[in-house]
Amino acid sequence: MSKQIQDAYIVAATRLPVGRRKGMLGHVRPDDMLAHAIRSVMAQAPGLDPALVEDVIVGCAMPEAEQGMNVARIGLLLAGMPNTVPGVTVNRFCASGLQTVAMAADRIRLGEADVMIAGGTETMSLMNQMTGNKTALNPLIFEKEENYAIGFGMGITAEKVAAQWQVSREDQDAFAVASHQKACAAIDAGHFRAEITPYAVRARVPDLQSGEVRVKEYLAENDEGPRRDSSIEGLARLRPVFAARGSVTAGNSSQMSDGAAAVLLVSEKVLKQFNLQPLARFAGFAVAGVAPEIMGIGPLEAIPRVLRQAGIGQHEVDWFELNEAFAAQALAVIRTLDLDPAKVNPLGGAIALGHPLGATGAIRTATLVHGLQRTRQRYGMVTMCIGTGMGAAGLFESMQ
Amino acid sequence: MSNFIVRKAAVLGAGVMGAQIAAHLANAEVPVVLFDLPAATGDANGIVRKAIDGLRKLEPSPLASKDRVAYIDAANYGQHLEQLRECDLIIEAIAEKMEWKDDLYRKIAPFIAPTAIIASNTSGLSINRLAEGLPEALRARFCGIHFFNPPRYMQLVELIATRGTDAALLDNLESWLVSRLGKGIVRALDTPNFVANRVGVFSILAVMHHTQRLGLGFDVVDSLTGPIIGRPKSATYRTADVVGLDTLAHVIKTMQDTLPADPWHGYYGVPAWLAALIGKGALGQKTRAGIFRKDGRAIKVLDLGLQDYRDTASEIDAGVLAILKNRDSAARFAQLRASEHPQAKFLWAIFRDIFHYAAFHLADIADNARDLDFAMRWGFGWAQGPFETWQAAGWRAIAEAVQADIAAGRAMSPAPLPAWVFGRVADEGVHGAQGSYSASADVYRPRSALPVYQRQIFPERVLGEKAVTGETVWENDGVRLWTLPQVDAGIAIVSVKSRNHTLGRDVILGMQEAVARAEADYQGLVLWHEAPFAFGANLKEVAEALGAGDFELLEKYVAEFQNTSMALKYAKVPVVAAVQGMALGGGCEFLMHAAKRVIALESYIGLVEAGVGLIPAGGGCKEFAIRAAQSAARTGGNDPFEFIQPVFMTIAMATVSRSGAQAKELGFALDADKLVFNAHELLYVALREARGLAEAGYYPRLSPRGVKVAGRTGIANCEMMLANMKEGGMISAHDYAVARAAATALCGGEVETGSLVDERWLLTVERKLFVELLKNPKTQQRIQHMLETGKPLRN
Repeated sequence: MSKQIQDAYIVAATRLPVGRRKGMLGHVRPDDMLAHAIRSVMAQAPGLDPALVEDVIVGCAMPEAEQGMNVARIGLLLAGMPNTVPGVTVNRFCASGLQTVAMAADRIRLGEADVMIAGGTETMSLMNQMTGNKTALNPLIFEKEENYAIGFGMGITAEKVAAQWQVSREDQDAFAVASHQKACAAIDAGHFRAEITPYAVRARVPDLQSGEVRVKEYLAENDEGPRRDSSIEGLARLRPVFAARGSVTAGNSSQMSDGAAAVLLVSEKVLKQFNLQPLARFAGFAVAGVAPEIMGIGPLEAIPRVLRQAGIGQHEVDWFELNEAFAAQALAVIRTLDLDPAKVNPLGGAIALGHPLGATGAIRTATLVHGLQRTRQRYGMVTMCIGTGMGAAGLFESMQ
Repeated sequence: MSNFIVRKAAVLGAGVMGAQIAAHLANAEVPVVLFDLPAATGDANGIVRKAIDGLRKLEPSPLASKDRVAYIDAANYGQHLEQLRECDLIIEAIAEKMEWKDDLYRKIAPFIAPTAIIASNTSGLSINRLAEGLPEALRARFCGIHFFNPPRYMQLVELIATRGTDAALLDNLESWLVSRLGKGIVRALDTPNFVANRVGVFSILAVMHHTQRLGLGFDVVDSLTGPIIGRPKSATYRTADVVGLDTLAHVIKTMQDTLPADPWHGYYGVPAWLAALIGKGALGQKTRAGIFRKDGRAIKVLDLGLQDYRDTASEIDAGVLAILKNRDSAARFAQLRASEHPQAKFLWAIFRDIFHYAAFHLADIADNARDLDFAMRWGFGWAQGPFETWQAAGWRAIAEAVQADIAAGRAMSPAPLPAWVFGRVADEGVHGAQGSYSASADVYRPRSALPVYQRQIFPERVLGEKAVTGETVWENDGVRLWTLPQVDAGIAIVSVKSRNHTLGRDVILGMQEAVARAEADYQGLVLWHEAPFAFGANLKEVAEALGAGDFELLEKYVAEFQNTSMALKYAKVPVVAAVQGMALGGGCEFLMHAAKRVIALESYIGLVEAGVGLIPAGGGCKEFAIRAAQSAARTGGNDPFEFIQPVFMTIAMATVSRSGAQAKELGFALDADKLVFNAHELLYVALREARGLAEAGYYPRLSPRGVKVAGRTGIANCEMMLANMKEGGMISAHDYAVARAAATALCGGEVETGSLVDERWLLTVERKLFVELLKNPKTQQRIQHMLETGKPLRN
């Protein structure tokens, strides 16, 4: 059990709809997306003085170029927050957005802050490649055998997990199709409505015919990733991307996406002072390292660790938001920990909904805390694997 | 004469041919509007857009580079006919239905610019009849323009005048097609199926007739009618499958319908077995089954006896093979004719009947024998046309043999050979010093006098035609240094003499001597010879030194190679490389070091050393390292690796360009280099370029110093890609080692990132890495394997 002097409560959590890479948010800057998320999350706590925000902590897995220069600070200023509010950008790759929630909660739990904003932003459309705008690896990685796996791409690590945990191509494809089906059903049922703040895209595009700048305006309302026509047969036709005789394809891997989210956390004192309704209580966070070459099994270490910390049993968790980096690793985690498949990603996962790296943790936190409210369930968890071999898990208790 | 300029072209009909013709126009930097019917639903240009998309997927690619599709505008007859007004050339390529064409011509006529040329790509309909569908005023600017599929690669375009076509306009069009699109033109007469298809389709019918008569298998016949007799690998039946059996039947039908008086008319029909295949929907490659069928990896052939497909067994009889390998053409034909073996009987019969047919029809279908022979070379990929083959075998003897067979009722038709066959042609041949025989005019026709052909110093030659030789200045066993005083006495030409133009010691040293002599006595140097440009270093010499374990000698050899590259680069007179065909390994490095490149469209350029376990060490890696540093210096980040990464993959994967245009994209050539569509013009253009550079006061740049390299971090970046590919089982451990060496050379060695080096340093790095790889047994195995099989070994 961790020592804390007070609880941290989530009073608002919102996100933009997630866009496919080069899709509906393809030209939208990550700092603009972040500003929108921050403005929206503050709007959901009317009466709360923005000057009270102690710090804004934003996750980003590739904090350079458009999302460089401490994107957290830029985003909050663009959002119109008072310039007395500071901001910091945090990078724990795919767990960045969850890490920020934990860091924000911890400031409150220690009694050092009463109001914090956590969040994440990531554009995979504007970023050049998976290794950033300038690739510059340390030569030592390849000079020493034990460092070698640091250089592995995520796809290769997924192949290794598939091989070691014997996850078949068929199972991966079936898992992927299910993810799309669940996501489409959730969109149709309006289950994401509470967590999404639509984004009005205003893109200035050259009209070559008229020679004028044309302003393209549309509202991004729904996640763009889910495919209604996803089928086992269709996925079976895709070729492995990372290994000659592999099983990991573009279809059973997470999608590259654009997205941002913000989470507003407060202390009990602020809850009462501003008469805010909490969505959830932050119940714990753990992160653990594993071998880089099998980074996908990171949650195997992180999940038990956070449960131990919080003193609750796995069976007590009603909802797992398990980031589907790859079907291979998600299935390996589900099977090894014997997670109840019905409790895992009931609204679909990253294979369908997309995975804007550093934003995903905050996005799925928003999904979870709203979902627990809607289904009147108690404990939920956001968990993911992390590049170079880590796993993170955050636990939340819904406040009905 | 005013300039003939095609500012913009239109192609009507976005079928297979129309879309590919549009692609080739775009290849040649001619903006093009591709028209088809408006789509019934959705995007009105949907049909054309789909066709344009399809161009990206076709193999072999009709596009010289991927971006070419951007220069093809989609349009439809419903909305965009106004756009025709801007087009100087309109090519109609819709389905072969006279009524449809008439209808379309009526529709477009009001929108055609007064100076535009209108041409039909019909493969069989009468051009004179088509002209009647146009208003009187447009008819003088109408002609037939018959491309062959695939139009980028097939050299032949048949131009067909109507009775009223303006002669000067046709000359302009011919010149433009030759020089700008790189085509070989045959002026065909307005007879059904024109020249190439008329003779080519008859040839297929004759092959089918004799196959059945002699009870041979389709697979055996393809062995007999392929490269062994100078015809394409796909031979006869495989070609039919590729073309489409329904298409073939259509062309045969045209002959049946339009040539009732032809003595061979009885053969203008679709054999029952072929009709049955078409009836079953087995149309060839496009339906995955035809005369051949692919069963998994195996290719099966239709057996008429079994009424089913069976495994192929395409053995040529040893005796027949021995006859075919006889270099004496006269003896070869005599032996074929005398043999009792069905395969020999078959071969004699198909040649006899094609000779008979070509001679009988020459006067009606083509102006002269050269046109007919070139039509078969360029349109059907034959190494020689029928008249050349005949003449090479002894005109009179063959003529008498054919006549005897006709008399004996063995030939397909009893029609007698035309009298001219036994006239002066019997002594002088159809091709001679004075030109090629015209049966209709009974004269020998010299080559076309159009100025465009003056650009072809080495045109394609029919049998017996002599090539210009120029004046030799100096030569050794590897190269010849010579001049063409009639073109430019001040520019020297160096040509490689070795087989496949491999680069051995004699070539390397000879090239240095050529540069030295050019510097002393000439104003420029052109590196030219006919294709291929070069197959790379002489591996045999390398293997011999390896066998002797003499690595010191090998290092010296590489150093000499590098010295040659440097001599080319720093020659005090401009060196222009004229490139066509394969330019691999060391050949690629030589051309990279020239002051300028003149590159034929069909150039396949690459640094393929990885295939034999080596890296480019004739200055190839060095040159890319320097260019990366220079490019990086112009960017904010000044990071050479950004420019190394794509090159690294090109070298690691031994990527070869699929065209001259793509060679620029891959960095083997530069944007300012000249792309030449007709390879026969290469030498002319190269000489002019060299002269131009010389006149403009050419001097070489100084060897660069302060070259910023990507160093160890750059190497690590490359290794990350390799590590993932190796873990994914996509490359072997030795592939990794070879590619890492290439990365090291490209990144300037194992030095700190951002280190400043000079050209000499970069050469030393790549040379040492090369020699280290030579010591590796796996590289040695690769070299041995390549020498023995001609194919790369993956070990």
